[in-house]
Amino acid sequence: MRALRFALFPAALALGVVAYRIQIDNLGAATTPARSLAIVAVAWAFVGAGLVAWARRPGNRLGPLMTAAGFALLLRQLRYSHDPVLFTVFFALSELSYALVAHSVLAYPSGRVVGRPERALVKVGYASMLLFPLAILLVFDATRPLRFLDPTPRDSLLLVWANGALAVDLQKAFVVFVWGVLATCFIVLVLRRLARATPRARRILAPLLLAAVVFALRAVFECVITFAERPSEILYVYLFWWQVAGFVALPLALLAGMLRARLARAGVAELVLELERAPPQGLRDALARALGDPTLEVALWLPEREEYVDAGGRPVTLPEEGGARTVTLLEHEGEPVAAIVHDATLVDEPELLRASGAAARLALENARLQAETRAQLAEVQRSRARIVAAADEERRRIERDLHDGAQQRLVALALELRTAQRRLGGSTDPELEQILAEAVGELQAAVDDLRELARGVHPAILTEDGLAAALESLSSRTPVPVTVDACGDRLPPQVEATAYFVACEALANVVKHAGASHAAVTAVRRNGMLVIQVEDDGVGGAHADGGSGLRGLADRVEALGGRLVVVSPAGGGTRVVGEIPCAS
Amino acid sequence: MTVLVVDDHPAFRASARRLLELDGFRVVGEAADAGEALVLARELEPRLVLLDIGLPDRSGFDVAAELAGGRTDVVLVSSRAQADLGRRVRESGAVGFISKERLSGEAILALLGRAA
Repeated sequence: MRALRFALFPAALALGVVAYRIQIDNLGAATTPARSLAIVAVAWAFVGAGLVAWARRPGNRLGPLMTAAGFALLLRQLRYSHDPVLFTVFFALSELSYALVAHSVLAYPSGRVVGRPERALVKVGYASMLLFPLAILLVFDATRPLRFLDPTPRDSLLLVWANGALAVDLQKAFVVFVWGVLATCFIVLVLRRLARATPRARRILAPLLLAAVVFALRAVFECVITFAERPSEILYVYLFWWQVAGFVALPLALLAGMLRARLARAGVAELVLELERAPPQGLRDALARALGDPTLEVALWLPEREEYVDAGGRPVTLPEEGGARTVTLLEHEGEPVAAIVHDATLVDEPELLRASGAAARLALENARLQAETRAQLAEVQRSRARIVAAADEERRRIERDLHDGAQQRLVALALELRTAQRRLGGSTDPELEQILAEAVGELQAAVDDLRELARGVHPAILTEDGLAAALESLSSRTPVPVTVDACGDRLPPQVEATAYFVACEALANVVKHAGASHAAVTAVRRNGMLVIQVEDDGVGGAHADGGSGLRGLADRVEALGGRLVVVSPAGGGTRVVGEIPCAS
Repeated sequence: MTVLVVDDHPAFRASARRLLELDGFRVVGEAADAGEALVLARELEPRLVLLDIGLPDRSGFDVAAELAGGRTDVVLVSSRAQADLGRRVRESGAVGFISKERLSGEAILALLGRAA
């Protein structure tokens, strides 16, 4: 195949010389050396671009298609010959050159024509480009000149019914159908494909816009030649040279677009250097740049969880097959490492994907390890929060059990004793009355103790009335004067409980250690956080780690994703601030 | 003094009735929930309703609020302490609160005397 490609280069050069000579020798005043050479140059551009594309991407049919289109454009010129065989054969095949050009454009960049209307257009195009000239040859008797041909007669070897007028009418019908109807369909399909493309695909498909313009120019040119009685020379010249410029640029643009992957491989070398310097979170950006897809996403495989996650450790669902987004799986020694979710057009550049994936593999493995660690951390965080919530629920249950069980029994017993007291009222046994009175007193003290215990486990007022009420109740039971300023919103139970116990512990420390004359408790919501603050005017010098009970509370606050800060300069009072996430 | 005792625990109602009657009160009725309490309070027009806070259908605070302003005084009772109930006791319209284990005729009269 390589030898064939090498042979086709000189063949195209030689055929170009022949095509040039045939135009000059046969068309007389209907052409000029510059125009004849320009037509050959267009064909050479197709052959050259086609052979390069073929060599670089042997598996892609676009290269052979463009090469064929170039040869067809050269062979097309042989129809100008006055030799009956050359004229008949190459007039019959001449228009196929444009069918091949259109086919190349519609097959760009994968080499396959995608879409039912596109495939239908290619089939109808080939058929009409072949059948119309054949039909003309059946009736062409040289009595009426055909378009593009000099007036010198040529003989059709296929002539069966001499009718020069019909030959001219058939040629007009051909122009109306092919360069009116089919060219319009072609332009519409090309523009529709561009309009529907993703941003990345649109950049790759840009040559299609050029193709639309070129075919539009050609259609106007054909109509002018066919239907204008005396086309203006200036109009003719402009149309001709614009068309030539477009047709020379088209194969080069198709080639450049198709070889973007090859050009982009230079970007892979940059990627390798960039990954050495970039932090793990820059990996996605670096890959997006190297692959030219700003919408690219990286999903990392976590073998233990058997799922894909993003760089933050959050689960990722890969898109289904067949959409605008496609997934390329990267593996190492048969084990999945990561998945790149990218624009579907990148499938046409498998080498680029492979090279980028290989370059990024080490960085991806690092990122995967980090994502794994983050996912584990997130799980630990969730588990800590669950433990706190479960402990709170347990505390609430114990408080309820104390209240509904032992406390009710003691209350009932107190009432019974008091009733017994009444029944013995005025009896002659003062010692028994004394015993009963003491028993009632002890019982009341026991109920008070039990109540205090239950309150310490989990205050009922917090469950029933929320944080503000619980803080007010707490302040009323604190021996140091305390002012409370708390928002009355209800918050998730574990948030309220954590804030309450922070205040509880901090106020207990105020009473025990601070020597303060006053304390202030505030609880406000700010930026999705509940900020609980306890401030006193005492001696300061407290430490969060100093066995004050604050360490345990700091753990509890952190378990909910918050933080606890203690500011306590010696002689400057103490401020305990807990920030607890409470987005709701 | 006529009293309506409202509590969902029959044992507490019986104990309270016995104790208050020994202290010279006349218990004219008992109710086990808020709905029954409101009906009996209107029918019997007692001088006092001894009202538990934790009723099965509605809170005792709600019942106290409905009865407030009439000729019947309300004394709230609970096995919790007043500090555990917050400002709702003050805002309910009841004349006062007694923890159940401290219930007695004197405690009620002290509250009514303070209210008067």
